[in-house]
Amino acid sequence: MTISTASNQSQAEQIRALRRRKERRFSLGVNLSYAVLLGLLAYAFSGIKFTLFGLQFSTIQLDTAFIAENWYFIFNGVWLTILLSVLSIALATVLSLLGALGRLSKYPPAYALATFYISLIRGTPLLLQIIFFFLALPQLGIRLTGLWAGVLALGLNYGAYNTEIMRAGIQAVDLGQREAALAIGMTQGKIMRRIVLPQALRLVIPPIGNQFIAMLKDTSLISVTGFVWELLWRSQKVGRANFRSLEALLIAAVFYWIITIMFSIVQANLEERLARGVRTT
Amino acid sequence: MTAIVEVNGLNKYFDALHVLKDISFEVAPAEVICIIGPSGSGKSTLLRCLNFLEQPDIGTITVNGKTVKADDTGRERKQKIHDLRLETGMVFQSFNLFPHMTALGNVIEGPVTVKGMSVKEATEIGTHFLTKVGLGHKQDSYPSRLSGGQQQRVAIARALAMQPKVMLFDEPTSALDPELIGEVLGVMQQLVEEGMTMLTVTHEMGFARRFAHRILFMNEGRIIENGPPDQVFDNPSDERTKIFLSAISRLGE
Repeated sequence: MTISTASNQSQAEQIRALRRRKERRFSLGVNLSYAVLLGLLAYAFSGIKFTLFGLQFSTIQLDTAFIAENWYFIFNGVWLTILLSVLSIALATVLSLLGALGRLSKYPPAYALATFYISLIRGTPLLLQIIFFFLALPQLGIRLTGLWAGVLALGLNYGAYNTEIMRAGIQAVDLGQREAALAIGMTQGKIMRRIVLPQALRLVIPPIGNQFIAMLKDTSLISVTGFVWELLWRSQKVGRANFRSLEALLIAAVFYWIITIMFSIVQANLEERLARGVRTT
Repeated sequence: MTAIVEVNGLNKYFDALHVLKDISFEVAPAEVICIIGPSGSGKSTLLRCLNFLEQPDIGTITVNGKTVKADDTGRERKQKIHDLRLETGMVFQSFNLFPHMTALGNVIEGPVTVKGMSVKEATEIGTHFLTKVGLGHKQDSYPSRLSGGQQQRVAIARALAMQPKVMLFDEPTSALDPELIGEVLGVMQQLVEEGMTMLTVTHEMGFARRFAHRILFMNEGRIIENGPPDQVFDNPSDERTKIFLSAISRLGE
């Protein structure tokens, strides 16, 4: 398309229309490709047989009767998975904030405690921590249900990793911001709360969101306690009982995937909300 | 008239580097001081010591009767520094506006969080000062939507909103495109005319010559000229001042 130079107004409009058409074409292409990929995935599990160049190809045959009968039982684990995630995210967020402040503290015990916490938690496996809180603590007279043992382990674990992300975010805020706030007489606490943290949070939302998406799926580890009927536990239960683990695990996988997509949307919205005043173009 | 700013025996080290050497001077109320000198001479460090953004190692600073000694310690030191900062307003080379707040939000942040004013009261003050710097119509804009000159004027309004007795300008126009320098200097000129006490680190020799009552010329951590602009610019007593000024004027031609 050629751009006429009749008037500046119409020229600007034409350029804008051209750009919009380009953008539309791109998103149309992306959506079409998604459809094709989804179609291929569905086809792979369709059970259809075909012959190509004299070779027999068969796709995976699923037991549809089993799926129809059991998907709802597995689906009911979604709520527990989300609950476990939300509780663990809350705990991890509080811990990572405190941890980051500790890591940046000039008060030796605070710095030491935060550093010790990160080292200890990152130095041991998550699965061990979950089992420890569930099976080892009762020996000390502390009895946690599977749910709380899991939330405690996940919260502590991701809190430790996120502490370092949070610390990096706080340190990434320009020093000039702190100086400007000091110059108008603000105290350290207020500077952290009103000036530094809001800017740091914007920076850490993508990496921390990434962490929480990983954590969402790590809630499945809590199934090892055997008392938390979340997605994986339910799918294993019906899968094993009917010798239909393929179907049962696929159902759970689909639900995990859907929750993850929803999490990503929440994260994108949050990112946009915190980007107030930030120029993106 | 008694001095509003007194600096006594100020010394500052960056590790082994002695950046401020026995600096002493006084500033009278409503006096306009321009601090000039070659890069690395310690002029910005000196200015930043005046509100303790840099901690001097030896010496005392008094602003409007609030004194801080370099060797004050603990809670008392914190309080004294806080009191001293309330007497000074500072404008930075890189503006340092809070990017997550609107122009008005930037200006009322101090009055609300430091002075405990109500948002309504602070907004009145904020609007007043934004109008004063010619940006009353931009109060809801975020800094990213403002030009450099506009950002620096918001930064000046932010400092003024705390109603300080002394304004410190740290190269306020050095980060600006040439055509935007004038609007910031215009606001500063207005402050000069209103009798604000000002200390400005600057490379704007035109501004210094026209508006400064006194020039401090710094070299290697010392003040080596301290006098009215005519004297320092036209008849400098030190050879190094002459070399600096001739280098600057060659650039200006």
